[in-house]
Amino acid sequence: MLSFQDVCKRYPDGTTAVDQLSLDISHGELVALIGPSGCGKSTTLRMVNRLVEPSSGTILVDGRDNRAYHPVELRRRLGYVIQQVGLMPHLTIAENIAFVLRLQGVAPKQRRRRAEELMHLVGLDPGLYLDRYPRELSGGQQQRIGVLRALAHDPDIILMDEPFGALDPLIREQLQDELKRLQKTVHKTILFVTHDMDEALRIADRIVLMRDGRIVQAAEPEQMLRAPADAFVAEFIGRHRMLRQASEVAVADVMIDNPVTMEVHAGLAQALERMRQRRVNSVMVVDSGGRFAGVARLEDVTRALEQGLPMRVGDVARWAQTAVHPDDPALNAMRQMLWYRVDAVPVVAEDGTLAGLVTRSALAGVLDDALRVTGAEPLAEAR
Amino acid sequence: MWQDLWQYFSTHGYEVWMLTLQQLYIVAIPMCAAILVAVPLTIVATRVPRLYPWVIGISNAFQTIPSMALLVLMITIGLGIGLLPAAVALFVYALMPIVRNTYVGIAGVAPEVKDAAIGMGATKWQLLWLVELPLALKVIIAGIRSSLVASIGFATLAALIGAGGLGSLILQGLGMADNAIVLAGTIPAVIMAFVAEFVMGRLERWLTPKGLRG
Repeated sequence: MLSFQDVCKRYPDGTTAVDQLSLDISHGELVALIGPSGCGKSTTLRMVNRLVEPSSGTILVDGRDNRAYHPVELRRRLGYVIQQVGLMPHLTIAENIAFVLRLQGVAPKQRRRRAEELMHLVGLDPGLYLDRYPRELSGGQQQRIGVLRALAHDPDIILMDEPFGALDPLIREQLQDELKRLQKTVHKTILFVTHDMDEALRIADRIVLMRDGRIVQAAEPEQMLRAPADAFVAEFIGRHRMLRQASEVAVADVMIDNPVTMEVHAGLAQALERMRQRRVNSVMVVDSGGRFAGVARLEDVTRALEQGLPMRVGDVARWAQTAVHPDDPALNAMRQMLWYRVDAVPVVAEDGTLAGLVTRSALAGVLDDALRVTGAEPLAEAR
Repeated sequence: MWQDLWQYFSTHGYEVWMLTLQQLYIVAIPMCAAILVAVPLTIVATRVPRLYPWVIGISNAFQTIPSMALLVLMITIGLGIGLLPAAVALFVYALMPIVRNTYVGIAGVAPEVKDAAIGMGATKWQLLWLVELPLALKVIIAGIRSSLVASIGFATLAALIGAGGLGSLILQGLGMADNAIVLAGTIPAVIMAFVAEFVMGRLERWLTPKGLRG
């Protein structure tokens, strides 16, 4: 589908960006090119659609040398997504999604229909977005459109150059999941450049780790985690994953730093509504200075409401004693949870302000990582 | 004095009207030529970077020459007096703001937008027509606007080399120390400048793509 054969890129000043790179990518595979900055991963990607011309070697696109295509024809066979999104600010979302179709001379009506189709594919409401302009959308929404735009002409191969690198972590994870889901339905071959190992591990079928223009290791994520080829790979995985023993992980590393909070004077019904909205079963109660005052649990709030007690959130706040310090080991948080039989433990800094919240699932993630490092096998086999 | 002015308008109304029309095409012809030359030339200069210093340098030089000197220069290079040298002077004088804004507008298109368009397979013409020009249009029109307003002012001076227009009325009034005649030339010229400014402002807004309007 996409094949690199001894591809080199040398610049006139003597620097070698890509050195003897060979790689075969099969149909429907999502390959993540990863490495430190300057390792040649972006250059490798840009050589595929000839935004950069290789110095030597061959890149085969659908089994044909990519120099045999006219660059414009070649690029229209490929999808292209970049970090800065690059939506056309003067065109509506519909026109942006169908931009390649416009370049190809497809009629406006068909372009519109295709844009609608694609919006449905990712569960966005076409009526809500299609006639708006890029600047009216958030960064995450814009890149969703950026990805759809690359699908409009139904290319077999999509090139993605750090597409989610500029987004905040929460949105990034959402888009990664969406891409993975999308990939399952559309079966595209995707070459995905990233510098974020978490991202690569999350979405890639195969990870290609590069350094100084060369491939250091190309392997499935699981294999790379279990058997890093050398110290560089191990370090690269380690640095990005923070795989440490659970005892070394600090509370600050695993806590959620924006838990649902309410001021002590807030009403109980308000608190109930807030919990319903955010789908949590407790809120952190703070005073006007942001100092932690306790946890208001759903059951306490509903009981007080049922009894018609004239109380405020501050009056039902309890469990202040469960709090841990950000520098405490994460295991302390676990101890608190088990001892007090609670699902979450508040994190309070020296000055008494609420710093975050450690939940059971966050701790489970730490344990999971720790188990992977030690290579522990599941116990179920023993039974 | 206002009475004199009124008197002058009522007796010489037709003459003032004709001079206003003359002024209009003294401005319009060189302006159209300047747009037709400056915009394509500058677009070429955005593609051939070596060319731009020349294009902006020369048009800048023309604008730097004091207007009066520029008009007299036309006579000394053998164009004589009348409409032709005035038109040539106005033409070269009008180039610079258009060149500058066209360049700034096109060079100012975000690199990621261009990268995306090229990476998606836009041809050079498609890049220009579908991406760069629509995005630069507002800035180009702003250049034409400042060029036009400056030209209307400049055109009143063209009467000095016998090109006619409202300037000739002003000169005549000054010669006769008759304020009414001076005003009869000045007021239409001022109105013309304001109308041009207003119309171009509207045009600028109207031609700005909806997605870019603030």
